[in-house]
Amino acid sequence: MMLSVFLRHQWMAFRRRSSAGNSMAMHIILGIFYFLIFAEIAGLGILLPFILPELAPGKDPAIVFCSYIIYYFLIGLLVRLQFQELPSLSIQPYLALNIRRKRLLRFLNVRSLLHIINVLPFFVFIPFTIVIFVPQYGLVSSGCFLIALFALVASNHFLNMYVKRKSVSNSRWFFVLLLLIVLLKSLDYFKFLPIEKISAEVFIYLLEHPLHCIFFVAAAWLIFLLHNNYLRSHLYIEELLPEGKIKTANTFSLLNRFGDTGEMIALDLKLIVRNKRPRNLIICSAVILFYGLLFYPQYLHTGNYSMLFLFALLITGLFVSNYGQFLFAWQSSHFDGMMSYNFNVQQYIRSKFLLLSTVCSLQFIFAGLYGFMDWILLPIQLAAFLYSIGVNTFLVIYAATFNYKYLDLGKTGRMNFQGVGAIHWLQSLFISLGPALLFFLLQKFAGLWFAILLICCLGIAGLLFNQKIIGWLAAQFMLRKYKMLEGFRQR
Amino acid sequence: MITVQNLIKTYNGIAAADIEALELHAGEVVGLVGNNGAGKTTFFRLLLDLIRTDKGAIFSKGMPVSSTEKWKNYTAAYIDEGFLIDYLTPEEYFYFAGKLNNQSKADVDAVLLHYQDFFDDSILNKQKFIRDYSRGNQSKIGIVAALLCKPEFLILDEPFANLDPSTKLRLLTMIKEMAADKRMCIFISSHDINHVSEVCTRILLMEKGKIIKDIAGGDAAYGEMVEYFRVK
Repeated sequence: MMLSVFLRHQWMAFRRRSSAGNSMAMHIILGIFYFLIFAEIAGLGILLPFILPELAPGKDPAIVFCSYIIYYFLIGLLVRLQFQELPSLSIQPYLALNIRRKRLLRFLNVRSLLHIINVLPFFVFIPFTIVIFVPQYGLVSSGCFLIALFALVASNHFLNMYVKRKSVSNSRWFFVLLLLIVLLKSLDYFKFLPIEKISAEVFIYLLEHPLHCIFFVAAAWLIFLLHNNYLRSHLYIEELLPEGKIKTANTFSLLNRFGDTGEMIALDLKLIVRNKRPRNLIICSAVILFYGLLFYPQYLHTGNYSMLFLFALLITGLFVSNYGQFLFAWQSSHFDGMMSYNFNVQQYIRSKFLLLSTVCSLQFIFAGLYGFMDWILLPIQLAAFLYSIGVNTFLVIYAATFNYKYLDLGKTGRMNFQGVGAIHWLQSLFISLGPALLFFLLQKFAGLWFAILLICCLGIAGLLFNQKIIGWLAAQFMLRKYKMLEGFRQR
Repeated sequence: MITVQNLIKTYNGIAAADIEALELHAGEVVGLVGNNGAGKTTFFRLLLDLIRTDKGAIFSKGMPVSSTEKWKNYTAAYIDEGFLIDYLTPEEYFYFAGKLNNQSKADVDAVLLHYQDFFDDSILNKQKFIRDYSRGNQSKIGIVAALLCKPEFLILDEPFANLDPSTKLRLLTMIKEMAADKRMCIFISSHDINHVSEVCTRILLMEKGKIIKDIAGGDAAYGEMVEYFRVK
């Protein structure tokens, strides 16, 4: 009863959050977006029985599935460590009210379960079980098997909560777990320890002796109790929240040498490193570097250079478009201050340009490793890189002067569309698809090398005239300065 | 130092600032008083060119603040937390503010030493980000960062709010000390008419965007303000 009141409050908090916005179109787009994600994952569950035989021909899909459950468990924990949050703050308003601790605990536990990461497994496991296990092992066995799998999900969930509450540093756990996974996989690969075989045998055994699922449930229950007891004895807000103290003070002191501009860049870097939402952007920019492994080979194979160029643009320029679209909004909580400190706007814009192009250069340097895949990727990536820093950076800065929405840095980054308007989706498309289209046309009518050369020239021209362009951007910035200030004050 | 001419700023038809003529001079400590919604903060923001004026202009040493930036060299302000970069530590923030005004780390350290009493051991070397400090301590950080720039024109919006009693008294003393420096103009607002009449040499009373009284500070001013704010 009390629980339903709590949950209703949570729902209202979600519905009435200030970032929800009023735009109907946005809600519809997001709705479709979420639906697609769910549909894709559910589709994966249904298609898995048909894909598995192709991936591992000649093997029983049930056994293949079972042999990977161990990795599912470990990787799931890894993902949770990185992305799942503790819903601690949600009980703060209730602590001082006349409510029994037991009720609060129950609320915290149930509240924490309401997370997309706990819902998704249902969409994979249930369809797969129905298609593969039910015909083979019968309803009772499959049901118990499912119970065991969900006990695993619950163990994962509460283990993650427990680890997060107990230790200040998740990153250590993260890397230990990552190492463990790599180690297990390589042990298996080099045939020292047949992990996958053991996993398969355990779960096939479970299917044949369904009542043993009780052990999984018991394990989940134990972990739950462990977490629950810890929580009960630490139900103080200061103990539930991560500590405010800083462990590593990275000061970017190197940048001090570059005067005020260096100081502004250092400020941006601190903003990125110390706040959750921009920090996720850096992770994304690193992850996208690997996209080449996935997408380059097929387009190299078919000789589709325009697509290669499009992916090269994404790989080298993702940070430019993602960080750039909120370029000024990142600082919205102290924009009043930014505009009254003693520095001029031209310097400010220049620092933004340098930040974007520096990160872009880093991405380009790492992406250079793709040269080993095929040398033709090097000139294509060079063109994409030069275009990103010579043209896209300026476009992005210009577009950012039209962004008047306050952005909360503290809010988690995943699936957070605060401050994102339809215009930004268009902008992201424009700065990646626009040049790709240009490349396509040039290549078609004038040849590959001409296309690469011309795109490079566009980028270089932008760089050569950067003084002029930055001056013009500063004037544009001044035109909309008051509007930005006004918008950023609306929390 | 500051000249205001025919300044008008309206929000939804209601005047937030409506000042025909006003001069602020070096050597003055000017107090701005008025009830909530009188337009005090709006006026401060207009002085810092953070809001576009509807009509009229503000000049700092003869230069319009909206089209020049030179006034930033000698102007410093603390209005609210929107002036603090909350993901920095106080030290980093002070060095940042100092650097923008061409002060080395050593210069900043020297100034911070001077404000040791004002900090009362609750600001420095805490290894915390500004966002994790209490409001009172955030105000202290903001005020000192503004003073750090050694400004000629200083704006503080309700600097006494959120401060503990000892810090309030220290701030009063600090303002009096600064007032001795005759090249400086200090412009503060407060809801505490005691504080205002104690430190200010001149008091402006604001109501619905208009300056309705411009009087000299002191005991007489205190009486006049008590008369104005008396609840009927």
